[in-house]
Amino acid sequence: VIVAGTFFPAGSSRAIPARASLEGKTLRISDETGAVLVEFPLRQVRASSRLGNVRRRIELPDGSRFETEDNDGIDALFQSGGRYPRGAVLHWLESSYKWVVASVALAALSITLTIMYGLPAAALWLAERTPHRIAVTISEQSLQTLDRLALHRSQLDPADMHKVRILFARISAAGKQGKSGYRLMFRDGGAVGPNAFSLPDGTVIMTDQLYRLVRRDDELEGVFGHEIAHVDRRHALQLAYEGSLLPVAIALITGDASQFGQVATVLPLMLLQSHYSRGFEQQADDDSAVMMRRIGGDPAAMAALLERLDKEICGGKECAPGWLASHPATTERISRLRQEGKSQLPRSR
Amino acid sequence: MLRDGPSADSAAAKTLHTLEFRGSGGEYFRIWIVNLALTIVTLGIYGAWAKVRTFRYFRGNTYLAGHPFDYHASPVRILIGRLIAISALAGYSLTARFSPWIVLGWVIFFVIVTPWLVVSSLRFNARNTSYRNVRFNFTGTILGAALAFLLWPLIAVITLLTTWPLAHRARDYFIVNNHTFGGKRFQTQFSAGDIYGVYLTAIGILIGSYGAILAIVLVSFAVIGLAGGHAGALAHINPADLKHSPLGVGIGIVGIVFFVAFYLLVLFIGTAVQTYVHVKSMNLSIDYATLEGGHELRSELEVMPMAWITFTNSIFILLTIGLYYPWAMVRLSRYEISCFGIHAASNLDDFTSEAIATQGAIGEEVASFFDLGISL
Repeated sequence: VIVAGTFFPAGSSRAIPARASLEGKTLRISDETGAVLVEFPLRQVRASSRLGNVRRRIELPDGSRFETEDNDGIDALFQSGGRYPRGAVLHWLESSYKWVVASVALAALSITLTIMYGLPAAALWLAERTPHRIAVTISEQSLQTLDRLALHRSQLDPADMHKVRILFARISAAGKQGKSGYRLMFRDGGAVGPNAFSLPDGTVIMTDQLYRLVRRDDELEGVFGHEIAHVDRRHALQLAYEGSLLPVAIALITGDASQFGQVATVLPLMLLQSHYSRGFEQQADDDSAVMMRRIGGDPAAMAALLERLDKEICGGKECAPGWLASHPATTERISRLRQEGKSQLPRSR
Repeated sequence: MLRDGPSADSAAAKTLHTLEFRGSGGEYFRIWIVNLALTIVTLGIYGAWAKVRTFRYFRGNTYLAGHPFDYHASPVRILIGRLIAISALAGYSLTARFSPWIVLGWVIFFVIVTPWLVVSSLRFNARNTSYRNVRFNFTGTILGAALAFLLWPLIAVITLLTTWPLAHRARDYFIVNNHTFGGKRFQTQFSAGDIYGVYLTAIGILIGSYGAILAIVLVSFAVIGLAGGHAGALAHINPADLKHSPLGVGIGIVGIVFFVAFYLLVLFIGTAVQTYVHVKSMNLSIDYATLEGGHELRSELEVMPMAWITFTNSIFILLTIGLYYPWAMVRLSRYEISCFGIHAASNLDDFTSEAIATQGAIGEEVASFFDLGISL
């Protein structure tokens, strides 16, 4: 086998048209007149692996180099010298359309599985192992920030507060951590408006504006059940871990974390985050229904409050498109909750 | 695009060689997707080998005067660097949410190590790149990097960004003037007026185009408002009734189309202005650069083709959920590379390699993970 190419003397950029051939177990590089330029045993020679139509580089022990575009020729030369050409398997994978299609499928499948199951599982694993002390620290930080930026001192009168506390105690007894595992705080929501939210350490915050929308006690109990479920299932921590593991996973695969400033990356990430978040909301609704049933309340009561909430915020129309929002569409939640209410089965308790 | 041939310069002996990219999107797609699949299967470990293959593909398809560039990095070193980088990223990502003070701690840490990251990244890439059997090298010092990447930007902030163009120039000087090829030095120099001109023009374009858009929007709103009001009054249409009528739906669709077009236009202008600064400053630092031995570098990148390629690339990538990426990279490289060239004083045969030690890839991997923007 004779392979045509270019020879560069040791450490030099001088290009000499040359040929490579095999004499026994020796690789010989000769110039166009046939004069030998260098000779080395084939086993001391390093060839770069095959990659598309990129020129192959044969590195010789003295620092000289032979380059050729004849990829098949150089592979044949090495093979006849008893050396397996490097990167042949990779090149075969890259040239076979079957394997390319399989790679697309494999990549799509693994990415989907990681997003659907892998990341949530890892986030849950981490969330369950996060020390309570850290949950407390995060909660204190968050509450401080909220108080500084959005919330104000509650304007509810003490009698109302007392009544709400009793309701909270009733439903929190059905929570995983028992009555003492949660505490209720009152705030004026300001621009936040009617809302309730929970912090990882078991703190549940209700805004005055929400209280003013409530007409029945079990509506409020349902909402508290929903927030307690967030605490019990460590949803806030899971969401935080999902948000921080995703960039790590992407960087691990692409070797580049710099793409996070780009629209093409940020938008899917936002959609994904809200997808995870919607899953948690639905779970919390379901848990709330179970808790309500346990204390003998109406699991569907919260639905009426949600309806009123929607009217208050979005003026009767449905608010945001479902795939963008952090919460499932309210109509969806309401019908699900009402379904829960109907399918009330006798429970042994 | 530059064209090969004898130079029209007074130095008659010089020949213009242009760079040329010979890779193809289809070929790179197959390499890319196999890289991706193997990286996923090996939980990221193959990523280091994938990176070397990718770099070899792009360097190996870049031709100057009939010869390609080449890339020599060791995948094992990249893997080690990458493991350290990923630990740092995971550490940052997991702890940053707990407290703003932790974020501040990380920021301070990164600022302190930045000069080292800059130097080791540039050195790693230069030393692992060769052309015609001769390696590039980077000789910048950590002190130099601290001046160019920390002190100059700091001065720019203190002076309310009025000296930002000078900081930009200092960074480009640091990068270009510390590169060598076969021991021969690259050297670039251009006036402060040149770089200020780039930034002032960019600001002018930004203000001018956004001003024009704002004017168009205001005028069309006024026209639509007036016309709509008259039409509504004439036909006794209550705007609330429009919601469910076909006319209302039609107006809604037109509105959405206009909104999307408007958003894309604003996005394109943003991309174009960013590209303008990138392209013009790159042209300055490369077009004024020489390589010891009487060689002159050429760079004739143009703004509109670059902005168009960058803009459409990101749209196509978004629309194809990422599958267009390899074609996007090839398309961008093909254009960019075709704009560079060298007025060579000789036939480029006389370069000789200097003895260069290889080095670890930790700095390079950390720097590329966190994209410190260490490029022109």
